[in-house]
Amino acid sequence: MSRRAQVFEVENRLAKIVSAPGGRTVDQAVKAAETRIEAVREVSLASLVGKSDQMVQVAAAARRGEQAKPFDAIYDISNAIYGLASSFGLTALSEAAFSLCDLADGFRTGEEPSWPAIDVHVDGVRLLSMLGAGVSAADAESILDGLRRVRARVLPST
Amino acid sequence: MAFNKGERVNLSSAEVMLACGDPEGLNILAEMFHGFGVHTPRRCLSLVEAKTSVQDRMLNLMVVDSALSDAEGYEFIHWLRRSEIAPNCYAPVILITGHTKPSQIFRGRDSGASFVVRKPVAPLVMMQRIIWLLNDQRKFVTSPDYCGPDRRVKAVGPPVGMKGRRHDDLSAQVGDAKTPNLEQDEIDALFKPKAVSG
Repeated sequence: MSRRAQVFEVENRLAKIVSAPGGRTVDQAVKAAETRIEAVREVSLASLVGKSDQMVQVAAAARRGEQAKPFDAIYDISNAIYGLASSFGLTALSEAAFSLCDLADGFRTGEEPSWPAIDVHVDGVRLLSMLGAGVSAADAESILDGLRRVRARVLPST
Repeated sequence: MAFNKGERVNLSSAEVMLACGDPEGLNILAEMFHGFGVHTPRRCLSLVEAKTSVQDRMLNLMVVDSALSDAEGYEFIHWLRRSEIAPNCYAPVILITGHTKPSQIFRGRDSGASFVVRKPVAPLVMMQRIIWLLNDQRKFVTSPDYCGPDRRVKAVGPPVGMKGRRHDDLSAQVGDAKTPNLEQDEIDALFKPKAVSG
């Protein structure tokens, strides 16, 4: 690698390939993608329960001091749950998982850890995973309200 | 980021690599790109698999999640841009982030990603980013501190009061005229309609 900065043009090979004759319209491509993703909704959502069960075990092991970086695994699983839940419009679950990511990230980067706050979030994420799309708006709001208050107490600066 | 939905895109022969540490998340990405018309997107769960894919194939587009099974997506992009495996090291990379803090957006940009997209990534959003990349005219930068597409998306010149580091940076100062001003009749002639013979 040169010590001097170099700035140069590169060929946009993607543009050349995409402009070849044939293919489909943007509208057709987007609709086909939406249809295919919808077809894997059930199997994707089913995996959320497994992930939340895995998170319960990981959190318990971390709490017992069995992991060198206890919040990393919790963060990774919660981040995966957030990605799936948000892709399929499970807004309550995605908010709960996002909040748990905030906690785990805060604790691993210097905030005073609070295991009760982690436990409450893990339970909330697990419950919302099991309820899936069937959770009522009132129940979801009740769970989220509790998580928001816990999060505000342990991470007041964020 | 407007575009024409009737515009045609032919991704059937594009070599696309998808990297995501979560199997279900990777599956969703793969279904999306199948829907876009990509025949066989390369699926990678780990940093090792992603590196192998770069070494084995000529890729046209890479979509990388910030969380791989054994590393962070930023690490892969940082490696790719410095790998000198041409032309793959210059190929566009879309970084997808889940739980995202502003620092991670900057981290993604500074690792050499062409674009950073937050989850949830709907197919329409992904297609918008791909079409943006088709028109991407940015130059490529290699330096000890950064390798990747020019992080300046808009060509507005160097910051006010600074000289600029690039040979094609234009000064904000307007120099003295090098030719005499046009006379008024010369200006009028530019606007005066004339009959065209012949």
